[in-house]
Amino acid sequence: MLRLSGVSGLSIAVEARSVVKVFANIRALDGLDFSVHAGEIFGLIGPNGAGKTTALRIISTLLLPTSGNLRVFDLDVVQKAAEVRKIITYLPEEAGAYPNLSGREYLEFMAKFTTKNKDELREMVKEAAEICGLGERLKDRAKTFSKGMKRRLLVARALMSKPKLAVLDEPTSGLDVLHSYHVREIIKRYVQEHGVTVVLSSHNMLEVEHLCERVSLLNRGKIVAEGEPKQLKEKFGSANLEEVFAKVVGFA
Amino acid sequence: MLKGFGNFLIKELKELMRDPKILIGMIIIPVLMFPILGAVMSFSMQSAQESASKTTVLILNRDNGEDSVQFIAFLNSSLKTILVSVSTIDDAVPLLSKYNATEIIEIPSDFSQNVTARTPVYVGFYSVFSGAGLVEGIGSSIVDTLVQRFNRDVAPDVIVPRQSVIIKGKVVDGVSLQVLSSLMISQAIALPITMMILLTYSMQIAATSVAMEKEEKTLETVLTLPMDRFAILMGKLSGSIIVAGVSAVAYMFGFNYYLGSVSGFASGGSSVDLASLGLVPSFLGYLLLGVSLFVTLLSALALAVILSAFAENVRSAQSLVSYVYLLVFIPSFVLMYLDINALPVWLRVVLYAIPYSHPIIASKAVTMGDYLTAGLGIVYVTAFTLIIMYVASRLFATEKILTAKLRFRGLRKGSKTPVEEMG
Repeated sequence: MLRLSGVSGLSIAVEARSVVKVFANIRALDGLDFSVHAGEIFGLIGPNGAGKTTALRIISTLLLPTSGNLRVFDLDVVQKAAEVRKIITYLPEEAGAYPNLSGREYLEFMAKFTTKNKDELREMVKEAAEICGLGERLKDRAKTFSKGMKRRLLVARALMSKPKLAVLDEPTSGLDVLHSYHVREIIKRYVQEHGVTVVLSSHNMLEVEHLCERVSLLNRGKIVAEGEPKQLKEKFGSANLEEVFAKVVGFA
Repeated sequence: MLKGFGNFLIKELKELMRDPKILIGMIIIPVLMFPILGAVMSFSMQSAQESASKTTVLILNRDNGEDSVQFIAFLNSSLKTILVSVSTIDDAVPLLSKYNATEIIEIPSDFSQNVTARTPVYVGFYSVFSGAGLVEGIGSSIVDTLVQRFNRDVAPDVIVPRQSVIIKGKVVDGVSLQVLSSLMISQAIALPITMMILLTYSMQIAATSVAMEKEEKTLETVLTLPMDRFAILMGKLSGSIIVAGVSAVAYMFGFNYYLGSVSGFASGGSSVDLASLGLVPSFLGYLLLGVSLFVTLLSALALAVILSAFAENVRSAQSLVSYVYLLVFIPSFVLMYLDINALPVWLRVVLYAIPYSHPIIASKAVTMGDYLTAGLGIVYVTAFTLIIMYVASRLFATEKILTAKLRFRGLRKGSKTPVEEMG
C-alpha cells in the first residue's frame, strides 16, 4: 500500500496522475491529478460535463484512460483491472436493478460475487436489507419499486460487501430528503465502522459538505480546487461550498 | 372522444421514422427481402428445372421386336437415352453415375408381342432418389408424361409402369419416386422452418438481453463486478440458447403434429416406411445434425450480441438484429424446396458462405448418409463462430461494450455524443 508522502500513517486509496480521456475529438479529462486517502470520504464535484462520471468510470475499470495513470490501492486500473474489481463496488448515477428479480434475489445475486459462504451471504443480504430499509417489499420484483426504492436497494448493494473502495456516482440521486439523510448516515457509518473508502460525486453541495472530508472541484476535465470543505470556504471567502463552486467556475 | 389522437400519432410517426435503425429494419429490409427472395427462388427453380429436363435415361432392352425400338425412339425425341446391355437391374445401377443418368427403364422381352396384341405390358421404371427436394421428381415426371403420350398414340394403358426407386445404390421395388419425394419434402420443410423460428427468436432474445442491461442501466454495474467478462458473454449466450431451445422443442412438437396430418395426404394413403428404406438419419447423422445446429445457433447468438452492443436500447437492438434475417430466410426458403447441388455454382458458393445454410444442408446430407458434407459444414460454421465469439469477447473485454454506437451519418441529426454522457 502506498504511503502518503509527508503524512505518516496515511495510505492512498486512489491516486490519479495526469489522467487524460478523449472521446472522439472531445477531451473529457484533461490531465487529472488527485489522491484519495484510505478510509476517507472524497467528493468530486463539478458542473454537468465536467468529467466527474468519466473519472469515476475510470476508477471503476469501466473506461480506460487515454493517457496518464490511475491506481486503486496501488493496483493499476488498466493492468490489474480484475484485481481492482475485487476490492471496489461501483454505483452508477443512473443504475437500475433487474426488473424481473425480486429485491432479495438481486441482493443475493450480487452477494454471490463476493462470497461463496452461505452464512456470509445471508449476513450480507441481511445487512443490505437493513441499509435499504425496504422490509417486506424486498420480496417484490424490482419493476414494482419506485425510483427511490431502487436507489436505496442499489446503495445497499454497493455497501453490503464492505468493499475497500466504494465509488458512488450521485448516491442520493432520486431520493427524498429523509431517505437522502438516511443514506448519508449509512455511508458515514460504514466508513467509520468498516474502514470503507468512498469516492463520490454529487451536485448537492449540502450533501458534499456534510459527508466529504475532502473535495476536488472539477471543471472541463481539470481539478480547479481541492481541499477540505472548511478550508475551501475560507480560501474563497464563501459561506458555503455552493459559493466556492460558483466562484471557481466563474459564475460569481 | 379521440381528442389529441392526431397530434400524438404525428409525434409517434416522427419518433419512429427518424430512427434510422427502424427505418432500415422495418421498411427497407422487408421491401428488399421479398423481391430478393423471389428472384433467388425463381432463378433456382428455373435452373433446377432446366437441369432436370436434360435427364439421361438408361434403357435395358430385353425385347427383340420392332415396338421396343419404336418406343425407345419415341423416348429419344424428348430425352437422352443410352442403351445398356447388362443381365440384371443391379448391374445397371453402377452405370447411372457413369452416364450421369437418373432413371433406368427395363423393357421386358414380351414388350413387342404385347404392344402388337394391344395387351398390357409391365415396364420397369427405376428412379434414383437423391433427396433433392422439389425438383427430384421432374425427370421422372417427364418419363411418365412420355409414357402416357405413347399409350394415347398406341393403345390405352398398353404400357403399365412398374415403379421402383434406387436409394443409396440399392433397388427398392414397389415404391414410387413421387410418393417418396412428397414424403421427404414434408419432412424437409420442418427443419428450415424450425431453424428460421429458432434463429430469429434466439437472436432477438440475445440482442434484447444485452440491450436490456443497457436500457435498465444494469450493464455498468455488472461490468465492475469481480467476474470474468467472458463469463458474462457466455452467460448471456447460454441463457438465450436454453430459452430458444425450449421454444424450439415446443415448435417442433407442434410442427411434427402438423406434418403428421399433412404427410397422410402427401403419401396418398400409401404406407411407406422411411426407416426401412434407410431414409432416416443414423445415430451419427443425428449427432452431426445436432452439432451443426448448435454451432450455428451459437454463431447467430454471438452475432446478435455483437450487434446489440451497438444499440442504445431494446428497440434499436431488435432493429439491428433484423438486418441479419435476410441471411436466415434466403437459405431456409431456397433449401426447403431445392437441392443445393441442382443450383448454379455462384449460388452454391453464396449459400455455403452463409453459416445458417449448413444445418439444412446437413439434414439432407445425413439422411442420404453423406457425413462428409455435414462434417465440413460443422468445421466451417465452427470457424465462423470462433471468429464471431472472439470479436464478441473482445467487445466485452473493452470499454466498447459501453461506448460503441452505430452511427448513420447524415441520417441522424443531433445524435448524442459521448461528452453528453461524461458527467
